[in-house]
Amino acid sequence: MTIQAIVEELGLEALVAADLAREVRGGYCSDLLSDVLAHAKAGDLWITHQRHLNVVAVAKLRELSGVICVRGLAPGPDVISRAADEKINLLLTSEDAFEVAGRLHRLLHP
Amino acid sequence: MRWFRADLHIHSVLSPCASLAMSPRRIVAEARRAGLDLIAVCDHNAGENGRYVRRLAGGTPAVLMGMEIQTEEEVELLAYFADEESCILLQEELYQYLPDIPCRPDLFGDQLVVNAEDEIVRQVPHLLLAPVALPLAEVVRRVELVGGLAIPAHVDRVPGGLLAVLGLFPEGEWPWAVEIAPWTSLAAAWAAWPALRGRPIFRASDAHIPEEIGRAWTELLLAEPSLAELRAAVRGEEGRAVRPGPEAKEDG
Repeated sequence: MTIQAIVEELGLEALVAADLAREVRGGYCSDLLSDVLAHAKAGDLWITHQRHLNVVAVAKLRELSGVICVRGLAPGPDVISRAADEKINLLLTSEDAFEVAGRLHRLLHP
Repeated sequence: MRWFRADLHIHSVLSPCASLAMSPRRIVAEARRAGLDLIAVCDHNAGENGRYVRRLAGGTPAVLMGMEIQTEEEVELLAYFADEESCILLQEELYQYLPDIPCRPDLFGDQLVVNAEDEIVRQVPHLLLAPVALPLAEVVRRVELVGGLAIPAHVDRVPGGLLAVLGLFPEGEWPWAVEIAPWTSLAAAWAAWPALRGRPIFRASDAHIPEEIGRAWTELLLAEPSLAELRAAVRGEEGRAVRPGPEAKEDG
């Protein structure tokens, strides 16, 4: 399933629509960036509360398909512009992490 | 110049997670027992008890004002200050950014300001063991604005370690130095986090009970035990140096 389809199905706001045709392999939920570095897999869509600039670096390093910022925790302009530079899909939802992860799981594993 | 033995991460009874026995009087006594030349009391988002420790110690050991600040990302930073005013000024600022959660002593522990006479001055009502609503870079900026020095605490440790939480060092020159957990060996730290190489490494006790004071330390080559000298050591200026002591035995 593509990021585009997930954005539409889950009603996400695309803060950075770098590559919406990107295939999503799976999902990963974590607020510990070291954990994401160690365990997330290429193509994962990452669900997090973190909005530090390092989120972009970690998403890039792990070749994640995108990042979903939850509970309306919008990252600052520095993060958004860096995500655009690094071509990282950066998405926002007002839902909490449990809700969005559950809905994403249903979409990916119907 | 000479080598000073420093334990720059000690909690007092103002931290809810620390023992009630961690009064300023006991901290000074235990620091002397441990042969420490320089200490800092770093309570969670608070610095008040450092004043009493400092007055009681009378220079033996030397005492830096300090705090352990938890940022919005839940990264923990040790902040050191040259004087009481700048520390308390920042503490008052941070109090406004803490969530409005009352501290229930039965769940979290007591948060007591205790003076040099072992008397309870007051109880801090809002929970200190919580992140302030300020991002890491902003907290560092505010610490430096009042002349302080910010060093990330136990960078390798979950919870709160900068590298554990943020995976990588942030861009830029900061942090000038880092603290690693009391029980992490240097070899293990460097192996797990190659980015640590080239930065001065501190080790401290992170003591929450009296017996832990001095269980880990850092040796500092300084002209005198002051914040200015500590800063010079962190930057490797004019022969000043930082040398972590051996790792402590892991607890729990």
